[in-house]
Amino acid sequence: MTEHFPILILLVPLFGALIVVLLGRERPEQCWVTSLVSLGISSIISLFTIIVVFSDKVQTIRYRMGGWEPEANGYEVGIELRVDILAALVVFAVTFVGFVNTIYSKTRAEAEVQGKVPFFYALIQLLIVGLCGIVMTNDAFNLYVLIEITSLTSYALIAMGNRRAVLSSFNYVIMGTIGASFYLLGVGYLYIKTGTLNIDDIRMVLGNDNLWEHQSIVVAFIFIMLGVWTKMAFFPLHGWLPNAYAYAPSMTGTFMAPLMTKVMVYVMIRVMLWLFGYEFVYSGQHVWKELIIWMSVLAIVAGSLLALARTDIKKMLTYLIVAEVGYMVGGAWLGNVTGQAGAFYHILSDAAMTFCLFIAASIIVLRVGDSRVNAFDNLFRKMPLTMIGFTVGALSMIGLPPTCGFFSKWYLISGGIEAGQWEYVCALIFSSLVNAIIFFRIFERAYFGKIAGVKEDLSPSDSDANPDTGIKEVPWSMLVPLFIASGFVLLLGIMNRTLFEWIQTALEVMNT
Amino acid sequence: MKVFGLVAVFVVGLLLLSATQDFPSWGNPRSAASDGEVSSFYIEKTEAVTKVPNMVTAVLADFRGYDTMFETVVIFIAGIGIIAVLRNFEGSDSSIDYDNDDNGAGLLARFTCSLILPFIQIFALYVVAHGHHSPGGGFQGGVMLGASYILLALAFGLSKAKRIFSERRTMIFAVVGIFIYVGWGVLCLLLGGEFLNYSVLDSILPGDAMMARSYSMLVVEIGVAFTVTAIMFSMYSNLSTRGRLSKGL
Repeated sequence: MTEHFPILILLVPLFGALIVVLLGRERPEQCWVTSLVSLGISSIISLFTIIVVFSDKVQTIRYRMGGWEPEANGYEVGIELRVDILAALVVFAVTFVGFVNTIYSKTRAEAEVQGKVPFFYALIQLLIVGLCGIVMTNDAFNLYVLIEITSLTSYALIAMGNRRAVLSSFNYVIMGTIGASFYLLGVGYLYIKTGTLNIDDIRMVLGNDNLWEHQSIVVAFIFIMLGVWTKMAFFPLHGWLPNAYAYAPSMTGTFMAPLMTKVMVYVMIRVMLWLFGYEFVYSGQHVWKELIIWMSVLAIVAGSLLALARTDIKKMLTYLIVAEVGYMVGGAWLGNVTGQAGAFYHILSDAAMTFCLFIAASIIVLRVGDSRVNAFDNLFRKMPLTMIGFTVGALSMIGLPPTCGFFSKWYLISGGIEAGQWEYVCALIFSSLVNAIIFFRIFERAYFGKIAGVKEDLSPSDSDANPDTGIKEVPWSMLVPLFIASGFVLLLGIMNRTLFEWIQTALEVMNT
Repeated sequence: MKVFGLVAVFVVGLLLLSATQDFPSWGNPRSAASDGEVSSFYIEKTEAVTKVPNMVTAVLADFRGYDTMFETVVIFIAGIGIIAVLRNFEGSDSSIDYDNDDNGAGLLARFTCSLILPFIQIFALYVVAHGHHSPGGGFQGGVMLGASYILLALAFGLSKAKRIFSERRTMIFAVVGIFIYVGWGVLCLLLGGEFLNYSVLDSILPGDAMMARSYSMLVVEIGVAFTVTAIMFSMYSNLSTRGRLSKGL
């Protein structure tokens, strides 16, 4: 049974999506239940997968589709799934965020995508199938097919938002297609040179035939990186992201912001270490290592400054994502295990804190009715529970212990020091300081606010508010996800040593 | 901005050119992609292990059937994505009576279409059914079948085509197609094999394990054809009426 876990994680939401499309029109209220159940099952299976992978001495589940053994003289003839501890952790993050986000969408779905609730739930479940598939597959072309699935679903999900969402989705279509084409071109070159598509086999052939020096392999690597960077919104290629995530329906934004870019960072690490290998990527003969670290420094600084310049909270958070992508790309390119493991740990911790902040921001925007930071006076008094969640996420983004944001920054900075890349270390510290300014600006307004305005704010004309305290919270279906998310921000921080050691052991194998 | 675009195009072009210098020469039979271990296996062993003479279909529907399953899902997503973005459930604008000029094309076009439609559909079904022995398969046959319904809508008006292939029915067809494909894979799981390992189905299909693979390819091609047909028609009807489904072109 356990060997089938990888495919079951994909099949449950896939069937969930089919059921939702089929039954949705007649019973729209059951769409939520169906997706909740299917994603719940899927995340339980992925939790068990972590346990299996960790308890098993082999530490890697290999699942061959169609039962095709490597029959071509040891080369894979079919498609293989490969789940190690890293993949299992990311898959759990994807399915669990999907599950929690479905709880959040309970009341929002009907309000924001009237009449199309079944299609929303079908698309979001297919998006989760795509993301999990990307993480688990061990086949370079299958990865492309699944990138296609995630892209198409996310274009549709974003375009379901308000009128401006359609245009931002169109921008994303153009950029996303260019990115995917670059990736496909790179895979095509690899296939021409090696004659196989399996990631492990490609690395083996590249090594056996000593193709490292070949110009076409170098170009293939550059193209795949460009494609992946476009998809993850690495700084000069980030143009599509802020509008797309800010104007999408809120329950789409809360799901896509924490996961889409992080899964692509995972793909980048996979491509670097598993497809091309340590020697090729970090060796001195190519100039790109220094260049890319400088690019990530630029991404961090530019992302932070652009975020600082925004007054719209959602836009501000989307620019912070751009900066966070810079953290991870830089960490992965430092060329030592600490940096890579830091980048990988940051995938998880950034997913948790971005999720937390996006839910909190969506709740606040919904209640205040205005997304500008100027309108956030006295929020601590009006929505104390929401603001607790927001504070946890914000402190993690700034990087204060014991939140996970502190530890991921700590590991990334140690990696930077180890590699002697001081510009990267400085950029991280700079970004922390900017984040502190950004969030304390909000705290100041929300905590001290306009004292004079308190009386009007608490006037009984505010029909939803509790007349005694003026507290005006949102339904439990939004608060519970927020608290789960902020709980995970703290949990990941407390468990950082264990997680980091797991990640380090898994990555060390590929660094020899 | 234009200058920047030009520079980017120039750089990418240079990269593309520089990569070609150590490509295998044009038509080289000994290049890695033609002569590698994997290609040789497909070329030499396909018929022996799957009993399917068309090795393209065997790669598509069996060796890499997992990819094809997701390609079908891509088509499905494209269809429901268009509905999700475009479909206008508020119904047609009551001030304009769309049905009035929904009579389709003129007499000549209608007569021609009613003559060729049956042949298009028969040929489409042949392409689906014969995909694992000759060029063709679910995608191609499905597109032809979908095109036949689009032709019906063009010639006789969308409302007539919708009486045959209503929106509800298109959705059911699309879902059933995926369900056939994925369900067939799950059946393999239930019988103790890996997902999409058709060879374990020999216990319920006539013939041996190789023959089971051959039959299964036909089954999944039929699943693909269902989805593609339905989604082609659904896309056409949504795009041509701005999501109102109430008026043909």
